[in-house]
Amino acid sequence: MAVSTRPLAVALAEIAGADAVLDDPATLAAAAMDGVAPRWIVRPPSAERLAAVIALAADEHLAVVPRGSGSALELGRPPARVDLIVDTTGLDRILAYSPADQTIDVQAGVTLGALTAHVARHGQMLALDPAGGRGRTLGGLVAAAASGPLRARYGTLRDLVLGVRFVQADGVLTWGGARVVKSVTGYDVPKLMVGALGTLGLLVELTLRLHPVPAVEETRLAGFATAEAAGGFVAALLDTSVQCSRLELLSPAASTACGGAEAWSVAIAIGSVAEAVRAQMSVVDALVARGSGQTRPAPADVWSRYGAAMTAGDLGLRVGTLPSEVSRAAREAIATLGAAAAVGACATAGVLDVRASGVGVAEAEAAIRRLRASVAPTGGSVVIQAAPRALRERVDPWGPIEPGALALMTAVKRQFDPAGVLNPGRFVGGL
Amino acid sequence: MALTRDVIDALRKILEPDALVTSPEGRMVYECDMHTLYKGAPDVVALPRTTEQVQAIVRVCREHRVPIVPRGSGTGLIGGAMAPRGGVMVGLNRMTAILDVDLPNRCATVQPGLINLWLTRAVAERGYFFAPDPSSQMVSSIGGNVSTNAGGPHCLKYGITTNHVLGLQMVTGAGDLVWLGGKTPERPGYDLTGAAVGSEGTFGLVTAVIVRLLHAPEAVKTVLAPFATIDDASETVSAIIAAGIIPAALEMLDQVMIQAIEDGVGAGYPREAAAVLLIELDGPRAEVEAQGERCAAIAREHRALDVRVARDEAERALLWKGRKEAAGAVGRIAPAYLLQDAVVPRSKLPEIMRRLQEIAARHRVVMANVFHAGDGNLHPLICYDDRDPDELRRATEANEELLSACIALGGSVTGEHGVGLDKAKKLTLQYADADLNFMYRLRRVFDPDHLMNPDKMLPSHPACGEGFRPARPVLPPGAWI
Repeated sequence: MAVSTRPLAVALAEIAGADAVLDDPATLAAAAMDGVAPRWIVRPPSAERLAAVIALAADEHLAVVPRGSGSALELGRPPARVDLIVDTTGLDRILAYSPADQTIDVQAGVTLGALTAHVARHGQMLALDPAGGRGRTLGGLVAAAASGPLRARYGTLRDLVLGVRFVQADGVLTWGGARVVKSVTGYDVPKLMVGALGTLGLLVELTLRLHPVPAVEETRLAGFATAEAAGGFVAALLDTSVQCSRLELLSPAASTACGGAEAWSVAIAIGSVAEAVRAQMSVVDALVARGSGQTRPAPADVWSRYGAAMTAGDLGLRVGTLPSEVSRAAREAIATLGAAAAVGACATAGVLDVRASGVGVAEAEAAIRRLRASVAPTGGSVVIQAAPRALRERVDPWGPIEPGALALMTAVKRQFDPAGVLNPGRFVGGL
Repeated sequence: MALTRDVIDALRKILEPDALVTSPEGRMVYECDMHTLYKGAPDVVALPRTTEQVQAIVRVCREHRVPIVPRGSGTGLIGGAMAPRGGVMVGLNRMTAILDVDLPNRCATVQPGLINLWLTRAVAERGYFFAPDPSSQMVSSIGGNVSTNAGGPHCLKYGITTNHVLGLQMVTGAGDLVWLGGKTPERPGYDLTGAAVGSEGTFGLVTAVIVRLLHAPEAVKTVLAPFATIDDASETVSAIIAAGIIPAALEMLDQVMIQAIEDGVGAGYPREAAAVLLIELDGPRAEVEAQGERCAAIAREHRALDVRVARDEAERALLWKGRKEAAGAVGRIAPAYLLQDAVVPRSKLPEIMRRLQEIAARHRVVMANVFHAGDGNLHPLICYDDRDPDELRRATEANEELLSACIALGGSVTGEHGVGLDKAKKLTLQYADADLNFMYRLRRVFDPDHLMNPDKMLPSHPACGEGFRPARPVLPPGAWI
C-alpha cells in the first residue's frame, strides 16, 4: 500500500464513519469497473457526510465514481481513473410522502422497488418501469435517464423529477427545483441532472411526482407479418384518441419472450376504469384487424417478461430516433444484430431498447456504426447501455453530439467541475 | 444609459427601415409588460424578421456592451419584458411563421413570435392541439411562453410549457447560434433544452421552437360547482386530488371575482356563491363519465350548492370565457392590482385560503381570487387604487405576507408566471446561497458578459459581484497530511 493511501483512508473514516469506508483488497478488486479497481469505497450514511467526502476528494484531486445499485456501470466510457467509489445505498430513507399531494421526497439510494412498495398502499406509483429497474436506486435511474414502456403515457424522468438535492464537485450541497407539482422559480436545475451521469453533481435527494395507479390495466399482443405492418398499426393507433399506458413494438424474439407470436408484434396496454379499457380495446382490435394483424391476450406477467428480455444478453443499446421511424430502426437493428436480438420500441418517445448476446466485438462495432448512420439523418443516436470494455474502447458509447450543443455542454461541465472530480471522462464527448 | 450613435447606425444596417423604434413616444410603448408597476424604456427597439438579423443584433450589442432585452407580445406579468438599464429591446413578434407541422411525429416547428392559439387553430381540424394554455393564449407568443415556462388551467393534467418543448434554436448571450434538442426526443448529453426553457431571456434569444402536439381527447366534460364557503370549495379540490383523479383543469373563483365577471362578460356563474369550482375532465369517454360522477359526488359531499354539467360546446366555451377574462374583469373593482402566483402543496389549499382571507382583512385590501386550485397555484388579484399610496403599501404588505405563508407551507415562489424583476429578490425565500450560486454560474455559461435581460430572474446581477458564496463542508483539519 502506498504511503499516502493510508492517511486518506483515515480521513475518509473520520468524515464518513469507520464502518463506511471499505479498503480491503478483496472488496476493492470485486468493485473494479472495466478492470479498474478503486482505491477506496465509501458508503456515507448521510447527505452531509457524503458532501464532506466529495470536498475531501476535490482537495485531493481524486476521481470519484458515484454508484447506486451498480447495475448501470457499463453505461459510459471506460474510466481512466477510479480513485473513490461513492456508494449511495446508505442514503435509503424515504423523507416525506404526501399521498394527497401525489409527491414524495426520497434519498437517492432508495430503490424503485422500495418506493413502489411504500406508495402502493395509497394506490399510487412512480410512473417509471425500466427493465430490471426495481432493484435500482432512484438516483442511479435519474443519472442514467432510464425509462421503460410507461413512457408512452407518462413521459420520462424529465417529466417526473420535481426537485433535486446534489453535491457539487467541490462538496457544496445544493438544491434545485421545488417540492410542489408546479414551479418555475429560478432555472430548472432538475432537468440538467436527469441523464447527466452524476457529472455535474452527485444526487442525494429527489422530489418526485407520483401518479394514481389505474383501476384496471389490460394488455394485448398483436402479431403482424412484417415490421412495416406493425409500424403502420402503431401510427394509426397514435392518430386516434386512444390513451395507451404502454405501447411497445416488439421484434420477433422480444415478442416470443413476452408470450406473443414469433412475429413482429405490438404490446398495447390500456389503464383506466374498466368501461374505458373495454371501449378503447375495441378500437385497438379494429385497427389490428384492419392492419391484418392477429390479437391475443397477453400473459399476466407480460411486462415482467418484457423486463427480463430487455436485460438479457451482454450487449444493450438504446436507440433514439423520430417517433415515425421506430419500426424502420427496429428492422435495421435486427438486420445488423441478427434475428435473435430483442427490440422493444416506443413510438411516442422515439426510443428503442435493443438487447443481444454472443455478438463479437468487431461485429458489434460494425452494427453500431451502421445503426448510427441509419438514424443520423433524424438527429438520432445509439447509446451503448451495456457492453464489455473492449467494445466501449473501440467505439464511443455515446456517439457523436452536434458540435454547437457539445460546446455548450463542455462549458457547463467546466463551469461546475473544472478539475474533473465527478465521473471524469465517462460522459459524452469525454466530459 | 444612452446609446452611442454607432449602435443605432449599426442596427440600421441590419434591419429594414421600419424595424427600428427610436422615438421617445415609440419607445414608451415598450416601457413595461403587463406588470405596469415596473417601468424602464429601452434606448431602442429592434424588430427583426430573420434569425440572421437576430444574430447580427446580438453581435452589435456584444461589441458595444449594450444590454439586450427580449420581448414577445408583452403580456408577461412579472416585469420581464422591460428594460431597467435601457439598451436594445428585441421584439420577436414579427417572426410568426409556422415553419413545419409534422403530425406523424406529433410536433411543429415555429418562430418565437407565433401566437399560442394560432398553432392550435392550424392543427385543430386534424385533431391535434398545443397543450399550454395561459389565459393570454389569444395574444401571447410561443417564444414568450417558452421564455417564462408558462402554464395555464390545463397544465394540471398536461404539464407546463417545458413538458411540450422538444428543442429550440437560440442565439446565446455569447453570440452563438445553437440548436438545443430537436424533433427526436431521446438524446444523450445534458438536457440544455430543459435548462433553457423558463430562463426568461437570460440565456439568449430564442429564434425557433419545436413543440409537441397532442391528439385531442375523445371526450370533454366541464362541470361548474358553486359553494357557500371558500372552505368547502377548497376541501373539495383537495378531496378530488386525493381520490386519485387528475382533471384536465380544476379552477376556483371566489365571490369578488364572480361578481366582476358577471358584471363584465356574464359567464353564468351564480352570483350568490362564495366560490365556484370549474372542473374539466378530458380523455376516453367512459373514463370522463366515471370521473365526472366521482367529482360530482365529492362536491356534493362537501356541500356544493349545485353541480352543473355544460350541455354543449357553447355552454362550455362560456364557462371558460369567464375564467379566461377574469383579470380584465377586475378593472371593475379597482383601478390596479398586484397579482400573486405562489404555489402551495395542494393538500394545504384549505389552510392557505383561510390564511389568505385573514391577511386580506387585516391589511384592509380586497383580494379577488381566480386560480389553478388543482395544483395549488394561487392567483389572488390584490386590488388597490394607484392614486392612494397607502393602499399600494397595504396591498404590497399583504402580497408579501401571503407569499411568505405559501413558502412556509412548503410551496414555491412562482408557479407559472415566472420571476422577472418582480420576484428576483424573492428567490432567497426558496433557495439558499449555494442554490443561487449554482444558477448564477449556469447563466454565465450562456451569457458570459452579463448582457442578457439584466436584473431579471436572480436576486442581483452577476456584474455586481457573485454575492452568493456557499460554504463548503468543514473537513477534519490536517487529518490526512
